[in-house]
Amino acid sequence: MEINYVGEHLWIGGVGNLFIILSFVAALFATISFFQASRLKDESWEKLGILSFRVHSVAALTIIGLLFFMLANHYFEYHWVWSHTSSTMPIKYLLSAFWEGQEGSFLLWTFWHVVIGNVLIFTAKNWRKSVMTVVSSVQMFLASMILGVFIIDFKLGSNPFTQLLRDHPDFINLPMFANPNYLESLDGRGLNPLLQNYWMTIHPPITFLGYALTIVPFSYAIAALWQKNYTGWFKPGLPWAYFGVAVFGTGIIMGGAWAYEALSFGGFWAWDPVENASLVPWLTLVGGAHLMMIFKNKGSSLLAAFVLVILSFLLVLYSTFLTRSGVLGETSVHAFTDLGMSGQLLIYLLFYLFLAIGLIIWRYKDLPKSKNEDDLWSREFWMFVGALILMIASFQIAFTTSIPVINKVFGTNMAPPADPVDHYNSWQLPFAVLTLIVMGFTIFLKYKKNTFLKFFKRIVGPLIASLILTIVIGIALKMTNPYYLMMLFASTFTVSGNLNYISSILNGRVKKAGASISHIGFGILMLGTLISMSSNQIISSNTSGVDVSQLGDEFKNNENILLLEGDTLPMGKYFVTYKGREKEDIYIRFNIEYLSKIGNEYKPEFVLQPFVQLNDRMGNVPEPDTKHFLKEDVYTHITYATLETTKSKEDGYKELKTEQIGIGDTVYASNAILVLDNIFRGTGGKDLQLTDKDIAITARLRVFDFNTKEHFLQPTFVLKDSSFVLPIVAEKEELGLKVSFDKIDTETGKISLKIEESKAAKKDFVIMKAVVFPYINLLWLGAILTVIGILFSVYTRIKQD
Amino acid sequence: MKKGHIVLIILIAVAIGAIVGSISDSSTYADFDEAFSNQEREFHVVGTLNKEKPTIYNPQENADLFRFHMLDNNGVEKEIFLQKAKPQDFERSEQIVLIGQAKNDVFVAREILMKCPSKYEDGSPEETISNATL
Repeated sequence: MEINYVGEHLWIGGVGNLFIILSFVAALFATISFFQASRLKDESWEKLGILSFRVHSVAALTIIGLLFFMLANHYFEYHWVWSHTSSTMPIKYLLSAFWEGQEGSFLLWTFWHVVIGNVLIFTAKNWRKSVMTVVSSVQMFLASMILGVFIIDFKLGSNPFTQLLRDHPDFINLPMFANPNYLESLDGRGLNPLLQNYWMTIHPPITFLGYALTIVPFSYAIAALWQKNYTGWFKPGLPWAYFGVAVFGTGIIMGGAWAYEALSFGGFWAWDPVENASLVPWLTLVGGAHLMMIFKNKGSSLLAAFVLVILSFLLVLYSTFLTRSGVLGETSVHAFTDLGMSGQLLIYLLFYLFLAIGLIIWRYKDLPKSKNEDDLWSREFWMFVGALILMIASFQIAFTTSIPVINKVFGTNMAPPADPVDHYNSWQLPFAVLTLIVMGFTIFLKYKKNTFLKFFKRIVGPLIASLILTIVIGIALKMTNPYYLMMLFASTFTVSGNLNYISSILNGRVKKAGASISHIGFGILMLGTLISMSSNQIISSNTSGVDVSQLGDEFKNNENILLLEGDTLPMGKYFVTYKGREKEDIYIRFNIEYLSKIGNEYKPEFVLQPFVQLNDRMGNVPEPDTKHFLKEDVYTHITYATLETTKSKEDGYKELKTEQIGIGDTVYASNAILVLDNIFRGTGGKDLQLTDKDIAITARLRVFDFNTKEHFLQPTFVLKDSSFVLPIVAEKEELGLKVSFDKIDTETGKISLKIEESKAAKKDFVIMKAVVFPYINLLWLGAILTVIGILFSVYTRIKQD
Repeated sequence: MKKGHIVLIILIAVAIGAIVGSISDSSTYADFDEAFSNQEREFHVVGTLNKEKPTIYNPQENADLFRFHMLDNNGVEKEIFLQKAKPQDFERSEQIVLIGQAKNDVFVAREILMKCPSKYEDGSPEETISNATL
């Protein structure tokens, strides 16, 4: 039975599918044409290649445009649109919704390759034919990831245009699809709450541009081996490689910023497999770019440059496989699920791996070898050593991160290190120290030969400066761990060495300072990492005085703390109050106020609003809030809170205490301080319809809540007809407080004040964690400087040529 | 011997060190039987929450202690002391990975990873009927 569905937009799927096929076929054509052009040195093949690549570019851009149109108009008849949006999703998350799924992220990657490919067509000159062969072949593979055709039983790619919701194997039998009008009532599944965040709008495109940029040096390297032009590729490839280092690095640090601002693991780096997967190819790219520079200037380290540059691209493919195949499974908090494309990805990875290995073996004998060895005190030797350290560091990270893959391949049953942060830090800290020290002194060495004495004279100043800095900072931060002190020395040495280089050797010739600026930046970045991570202070430890260690030492609570609404607890140098929650749409915001105490006065400093984003279907997502100061950050995260608004409806008040107080005395309630100001005759303005025989005495109490806001309470004592006592209660609802008194000691002038508190007022609470990160701004400052330094040197290099 | 060779040897030595180090730092997946017969050794245990038994969380007393019962993949049940605040959405978890060690009769977990598949997938069109028509 054929149902005529109402309101579907099937035309757009048809058009989109056409363009997907076109983009694949055009990329295939471009690959073949450029291949023939390089093989036959033929101009007409090259023209055809350029034309095909342009067609491919237009097709890819059209696909992206159509998909955005579908997302924005909520065409839920398409499974892809239904999976990533809902009608309530704000339009600002459109971009995040686009790249949430694998199809979108492959398209983002394709998009950047299209941009890069078109720039290369203009700039690669005589390298164009061979370099574009490689780029086009990668585009062909990427296009096949969204092809969505079946080859016998194997599904090639996942096509967002052809998979209709009602045809999806999981839902095909749902009764709702018997209704021709099903679209009228259908809403989308919506965007994962973790991604509904502004970082998710800017972090993925930059990271993917970083990924995409590794293709340029890779393509040049492959082309060089293929065309036997082993040395000519360094000059055109070098600016691309460094541009890649800058953008890729920005992507990684932005990922860290996102984790720090929006995720709950309390820090910007957790050695999570997904983070590692992007760090590893970045490290090899940094190494590779430096080796390319050595070769360009000196003519050695040729093979190593090939290996590292090729490795960077392969590792990007491997990372994609690692994070998207589901193989990481239970080891990562944000691994993606498999779309059935991991087999395909693996084939591409192996294809380029064997291509590269094959080419290197084939051309190995042919590679020019440098005749004489590098001098021990030469810049190229130590740059080479630095690149090797980076390679080993990346190898160590890659190996541990790959444990789930090793288990799959060898059938072993290893689990990742129980304490990954400790594991990686203990390995990576020495690597970082060595790298930083090499970075600090290598800049003073010239290419080729140096006299050791001259070199030594130059570095002695920075050496002393960094020693002094290490001692001063070390004492100020009470740093005792020898490894941390080594790191402190190494990072300050990099900074002082490169600063000194700019001022003394370059004499302020800014044009050549790019490398030094980025090295200074990197030193500051590592310094910020070291200080903020080693001296961070969890201030939300248990200070209640209640002994909670009855279960043994390991259950002392020292991270999370219970905060009742209205309670004020000391945390570090602050006093912290939980001032209740606000519900706004799907967000529950918790108002956490930080106060300082001067004498007896509480002074509000700032309010943080960590929140929980409610999402029935995908789980609630908490997000921390951080107060940024120049010298430190105060991070606050709600680790637990009851989210249902079952705020106890227990009515009524219960007596807290009765105390004898005189004028000027202070008495404490759970969430307020009361001071007896005065006792006077009269009702204090209340109309109690008293007669002449009645006596009224009123107490004036000043009440401070922890906001240090002042309230007044005036309970009255009435002696009716000189015979019976009638206490008139004064109440402050917002504080949940009632006071009254029924006795006056005429000799001492004291009243017995009865304080009652509302039961309901005490029910709401949060469990929170607060951490102070000192000098974390150094980290961001360093990162910005590093990127600026690299971009600057790329700019001067391009201008020079 | 050339400097290049020395560098190469050091390179290989550190690489081997990294492999050995990673393997020795790596933990092991185990079931409860193995974890409890090797007391105070750290393991990764995979299992599911026993939803029949109550979970206990008294933040007033200790915000860093959460108690529940977990069944490992062989169906063996143990009481768990987790040294953390109760994870948000705990009851929805489909699979739990605990990192910790057995101490007498309880498993003391230092770290928890939960898998809630709904976070990335799941949900059927029938649940996504828009409010407009309801």
